[in-house]
Amino acid sequence: MTDWGWRLVEGTASWLEEPEREAVLGDLAESGEAAWRGVAAVMGLAMRRQAELWANWRPWLAVFGVALPSSFQLMGFSLLVSRMAGQLLGAERPGGTELGLLVCRVVLLLCWAWSGGFVVGSLSRRTLWASATACLVPCLFCLSRFAVPGMSRVSLLLFAVPAVFGVWSGLRRRRLRAGQALVLALLVTWLMLPGWSGSWLYALWLLWPAWFLVGTARPAVVKA
Amino acid sequence: MLGEFEYIIITAAAGLGEQAYGAAIREQIETTAGRKCSIGALYTTIDRLEAKGLVRTWMGEATAERGGRAKRMVEVTADGVRAATEFYEAMMRVSRGAAWADRSIETRKGSAV
Repeated sequence: MTDWGWRLVEGTASWLEEPEREAVLGDLAESGEAAWRGVAAVMGLAMRRQAELWANWRPWLAVFGVALPSSFQLMGFSLLVSRMAGQLLGAERPGGTELGLLVCRVVLLLCWAWSGGFVVGSLSRRTLWASATACLVPCLFCLSRFAVPGMSRVSLLLFAVPAVFGVWSGLRRRRLRAGQALVLALLVTWLMLPGWSGSWLYALWLLWPAWFLVGTARPAVVKA
Repeated sequence: MLGEFEYIIITAAAGLGEQAYGAAIREQIETTAGRKCSIGALYTTIDRLEAKGLVRTWMGEATAERGGRAKRMVEVTADGVRAATEFYEAMMRVSRGAAWADRSIETRKGSAV
């Protein structure tokens, strides 16, 4: 196998988990197969592994229960927060109530995005590409059609940084501690009372990840 | 009961003994059974067999001919031997009286004479 051919095989093998990658690349090196055969073999195995993952409910929930619906709603809420911040910054003397509501909505946006990201990261470690695509496609669609005078396109994506941080945390920790999860869920629910003005049916899509984290949290360790 | 490919893998691994690992099992299947064996089919089936407790796998030593990469060694467990025996006996029972089974017995007898 030529150098570039082997590099191609190694690149394709990055889809596989570490011990399996090692064994498969070793087998291919030993059998001295042609590069294209090696790539096909590795892709075949990677596709089988992906198919196995999708036989579980977790990646489906991550894509269609969180990533896709939340991306639309979080973009809408990001826009609302941006507009409100713009109005308050433009006002000569912003009122305390408005300022409080803005803070409440900013925290709500952070918590929603982070908890949704955490759930996606913990549920779909090896199918993250699908969840990312399900979130990116609506974002790109809305960005391409964004035409609100006086507002930057970035205002649609305020949720992106906390969501990515949430995904990263979910990949690392998988589960929150029971106490942390409960505080987060109660905070989100409590902030929604003043902070959410739309339909509660939509709000539930953003709220459930926080309560899902409570349901799947690590129980507190009681020291004897 | 085992599937046909599962049986072939267990038989190949048992035949190879301590030398049973991915590439060797694959080569054994291709030369003795005369059928192509993809890496994808091989490793997903080995995983399934391991989940059923019919084989045990571990990462073995790395060799220079493998580019310094480790082998995934395979060992057939006692349950694996039992399952393969059941499969073999069931196939023999099912095949009794079948034209091709009788023919293969006659061919063997002919070649012995």
